[in-house]
Amino acid sequence: MTPVAITPRLTLVQVYAIAKNTFKEAVRSRIFYILLAFAVCLLLFSFVMGLLAIGSLRRVILDMGLSTIAYFSAATAIFIGIGLIYKEVERKTIYNVLSKPLSRSSFILGRYLGIMTVLLVNLVAMTLVLAGVLASVGAFTARIFPAVGYIYLELMILSAVALFFSSVSSPVVSAICTVAFYLIGHTSSSIPSFLVPLVQSEFAKRALLLLYHVLPDLNLLDINNLVVHDIATAPGFAVRGVTYTLLMVAVLLLASSLCFKRRDLV
Amino acid sequence: MDHVLQVTELKKSFRGHLSIGVHHVLDGVNLSVPKGVIYGFLGPNGAGKTTTIKILAGLLFPDAGEARIFGRSSTDRSVRRRIGFLPETPYFYDYLKGAELLAFMGRLYGLSPSQLSRRVPELLETVGLKGQGKLQLRKYSKGMLQRIGLAQALIHDPELVILDEPMSGLDPIGRREIRDLILSLKEQGKTVFFSSHILADAEMLCDQVAILVKGRVVQEGILEVLLGSEVRFWDVTLRGLETFSPPSGCSVLTHRGGQVLVRVESEETLQTLLDKARAEGASVRSVMPHKASLEDLFMAQIPGGGT
Repeated sequence: MTPVAITPRLTLVQVYAIAKNTFKEAVRSRIFYILLAFAVCLLLFSFVMGLLAIGSLRRVILDMGLSTIAYFSAATAIFIGIGLIYKEVERKTIYNVLSKPLSRSSFILGRYLGIMTVLLVNLVAMTLVLAGVLASVGAFTARIFPAVGYIYLELMILSAVALFFSSVSSPVVSAICTVAFYLIGHTSSSIPSFLVPLVQSEFAKRALLLLYHVLPDLNLLDINNLVVHDIATAPGFAVRGVTYTLLMVAVLLLASSLCFKRRDLV
Repeated sequence: MDHVLQVTELKKSFRGHLSIGVHHVLDGVNLSVPKGVIYGFLGPNGAGKTTTIKILAGLLFPDAGEARIFGRSSTDRSVRRRIGFLPETPYFYDYLKGAELLAFMGRLYGLSPSQLSRRVPELLETVGLKGQGKLQLRKYSKGMLQRIGLAQALIHDPELVILDEPMSGLDPIGRREIRDLILSLKEQGKTVFFSSHILADAEMLCDQVAILVKGRVVQEGILEVLLGSEVRFWDVTLRGLETFSPPSGCSVLTHRGGQVLVRVESEETLQTLLDKARAEGASVRSVMPHKASLEDLFMAQIPGGGT
């Protein structure tokens, strides 16, 4: 058997193999189904809640349904993401993989694409349930699809953050840091809209705005409220959201690769 | 001579807990492995065998020195296309089935699905796991995991096979099967570099050995040359003697029921002993020459090992 040359095609085959294996790892673990089943139960429960809120059936189902999808997807992304690299090193399964003609960047990319596939399947399943619940009460709206699309963009960032921390620290530290990132990301938009108008000093205003630009803003990707209240998104919202996501993901994956590139696998 | 693996002045140290203190594991390791041999990398626990092998596999980066495989640096990933590697006590994705693991590893080498559909069953049979490919790895025994580990190391038909403690954890039958497999790899023209602390296996298999002690190679070379061909002593069993006083240069090891076991240090003394025994009416049951063993060589290199 002649050794295959290292070509971009081989790299693609390797990244695909790692991604596929990551996908298998997730779908063969029980916790994945437990989280998914719990989310589906909550989505069905939104129907009951909608019946109780007389006159607001559609709004309650949409609000609760999209929130459930967002939170459970985020929980799954963090739960799987924090162990993506660390567990491989800890369980020593990485020795067999990285002793092959595979670059460490390809390994990182493959793991990332694997978790994104898992989250996509997860998201599609939950979206179908929500669409079914809405259709059953005659309140189906196609706007849930862009809303779920934005949730996926947020998951892309969140998974890249979890992967980055997983490549440099333990799952506990990674979980704390990723959850902190998520919370900061969903509250940082209140700095320009709420905090800045409250302060008098020009210097403090600038400092707060600078802080806002340094911190992540995941609300740039959140249209759930707009969908629930049937408000259109501003022009350019999608372009800004996609650009923001791709930049963040690229920076985080690059940082993960750099941190992992010269790491001794003891 | 054509060398497939050359290690020069390789050094590696690790920081202690909380980065306090430095532990020097490799202190200038030098090795040369010619093509087509079975090369044993021996040493006591903690000598640095696994650290060296991990550097060869690209899992660790040396502090100084270099390891060249097929003339290229071990950090160059293109050389890994030509290497098969089995880590010490291999750990695998236990949710995968045996055949899935081999297919996954094969894909990392760029093997096509059609190549894998031939190669996977063939290898499962070679390592004695025929019919076990559809079983999840979490249901494999330790010996089966070692075998599937060997199979994944051979999936792309490598020229150089690096095995870290391949016989570890195997029962005598398993050890024999792995020994036969290593010998068959040599017959196919491959070079096998393996670490072990099981000296009997190494002595049976190796053409060349290196002994690593405290991060330095203290002996390296062709096994037969290192051991020498001279007989170190003879054990002679005599029968029919109720009392026996041996000539000088002999020592009686046991004397029970008219049977005496005598150790003789030189050939001249052996002749004197045999003449004396016959003269006293004894029969010679056996004369067993003893050459130096790998264990003798090994123990002589270990501080305190010769005592």
